[in-house]
Amino acid sequence: MLRDFIFVSLLVIIILALTYLTYSGGLGDLPPQDVRVIASNYLNLTYNQGITWLWTASPEAVTAIVWDYRGLDTLFETVVFYGAILAALTLFRSVSKIPEFVGGVGLSLVVKRVTAIVTLAILTVAASTALHGHLTPGGGFQGGAIASVAPLLLLVVFGKQFFIERRISYSKLLTIRNASLALLGFTSVALLILGFLTGAQGYIFQNQAKTISTLSYPPYLLDVPLGGSLFFYNLFEFLAVASGFTLVFTILLSRDETLRKELEGEELGY
Amino acid sequence: MDYVDLVFLIMGISALTSVLFTFLTIRTKDLMYAVVFSSVQSVAYALIYFLLLAPDIVLVYVAVAVGIYPLIIILLVKKVGRYEVMT
Repeated sequence: MLRDFIFVSLLVIIILALTYLTYSGGLGDLPPQDVRVIASNYLNLTYNQGITWLWTASPEAVTAIVWDYRGLDTLFETVVFYGAILAALTLFRSVSKIPEFVGGVGLSLVVKRVTAIVTLAILTVAASTALHGHLTPGGGFQGGAIASVAPLLLLVVFGKQFFIERRISYSKLLTIRNASLALLGFTSVALLILGFLTGAQGYIFQNQAKTISTLSYPPYLLDVPLGGSLFFYNLFEFLAVASGFTLVFTILLSRDETLRKELEGEELGY
Repeated sequence: MDYVDLVFLIMGISALTSVLFTFLTIRTKDLMYAVVFSSVQSVAYALIYFLLLAPDIVLVYVAVAVGIYPLIIILLVKKVGRYEVMT
């Protein structure tokens, strides 16, 4: 009881202290009245058709910063994320080789029907988020995270047998993930390679043509802004994130005995 | 009260709601309830992100906080037992 009292009083004190700090102007003007120079530059240039040697051909400034202006930062961020997935896959590497347990029948018919409808909606929203990442808020990672909820629901509601019957296997998902990652890397150096082959100037993470280089990804598809390489980054990131998450879920939802066998010897440090 | 004040008021209410549900998450002995409380706290955060004009963050936050994170925690709860044992 005393512990509860101390806990609650601490919470109240922290909330009041933060409120006082905010009200007395400790965070400056709220909301901020000015935009910083670098932010106004990004906003002015990202879809500025008058200055096409500095634009990204994408009206969505966030995606433009993430995959073009600060593309290398995102590349290393992506490497960290896939390192984590890779570690999980390596730790449970022989799960894919153990024959699947196919006794599960899933949940009731009502739940299955509802899930089937919801799954379709989830995949539609995910595809729209990822493929319109250069036009509206969202992008590859967001779309991939949304899409990975669908196989998760299917695994729980329909059981693993559903996946096995449709031949969605571990190795196929791994292939999709690896191919997407390879294509993501290729997108970042494609214009550099093209430059080497044709003798023109090109550089890593190039999107649109610059003053020193005439190579460029297409800025428009028909009359819709394509964002050049941004569309391809979003697409491949979407596939890689969705398949990477699905792989980890497949492992996590394996049978307990299988997983425990994998971790045997852990107390001895392998 | 103008529009900006209203936005800040809703943000304040969401923040206080999130504190309340964080408290409940820590205090409850039923771990399944803890997962649900934690998800409600995440929804309050998602609303704050939305009001701060960060829709990119909201899109990934909702999927992770309401879909993926509860599943992983529920899998864990399934393995360790639903009720926290008093010691």
